[in-house]
Amino acid sequence: MLSLRSVNGHDGVFFEDLEIGQEFTSPGRTVTEADIVIFAGLSGDYNVLHTDAEHMKSSIFGERIAHGLLGLSIEQGLASRGEPAAAHGVLSALKWKFKGPIKIGDTVHVLSRIAGKRDGPDAGRGLVTVERRLVNQRGEVVQEGETEHVVERRKP
Amino acid sequence: MSGAALAPAQCYFEDVEKGVPLETPGITLTEAHVSLFAGVTGDAALRDPGAVPDLLPLCLSSGLGWRVPRPPLAVLAFMGFEWRLLGPVRVGDTIHSVSRTLTKRSMREGGVIIEERRIVNQRGETVQSGKLTLLVARRPAA
Repeated sequence: MLSLRSVNGHDGVFFEDLEIGQEFTSPGRTVTEADIVIFAGLSGDYNVLHTDAEHMKSSIFGERIAHGLLGLSIEQGLASRGEPAAAHGVLSALKWKFKGPIKIGDTVHVLSRIAGKRDGPDAGRGLVTVERRLVNQRGEVVQEGETEHVVERRKP
Repeated sequence: MSGAALAPAQCYFEDVEKGVPLETPGITLTEAHVSLFAGVTGDAALRDPGAVPDLLPLCLSSGLGWRVPRPPLAVLAFMGFEWRLLGPVRVGDTIHSVSRTLTKRSMREGGVIIEERRIVNQRGETVQSGKLTLLVARRPAA
């Protein structure tokens, strides 16, 4: 489908269109062993938590778990598919907590809520704070936090 | 445990010194990094060509942290972090990270450290920075 976003990267949602309390739900995504292997290769983080199945059998997790930052990266990707571009655009800050493991085969999705709006770095842009939760197939919140985005205002 | 002497060296909670700056080697950001990262994240947002995804420098800094003259930190869990994006990062930039431990707090399972980390580009500009909270293992009893 041809959309405004596919033409010029903007889906027509501006600072003024985002309202405090608006909620969004993303599609789900199953985290695979391949995701973890690729992320280890890309990041260079080969911690045994993510790469040594035998070692992890005797850990409290019982198996390899996804890198925390892989979960957050997947969260960002899912959010981009479930929210107006403005709500997950230019990131200026984040506060994030890793609350539980993501294991191979878990399916996660993102619940997000517009939590705050304030003036931005200049007259043409505002700052939007979004509360985000990454939830697994059992409804457990595995990661959560707040992200702050610079969002364009509608041209007068 | 037999063979313990051959176990790979790790930096345990007891070994972490507060305030000592640790500087990693650099890594040049390429289109390949951006493509691989986009594939993993599935980020559908259109970005300016040459722009580096916001979280990629932080993800790469966790691997750079393995390439310092210290054994890898015995991280049991990454508990959380606060992060600020201060300047643009683009394909072709070479980044490295500079970190130091701000606080150490002993826990039953291990210890919690709060680390300050900065991502610095080839011009010496800090482009991202923040504080990371990590649960680190204690040195196993001999």
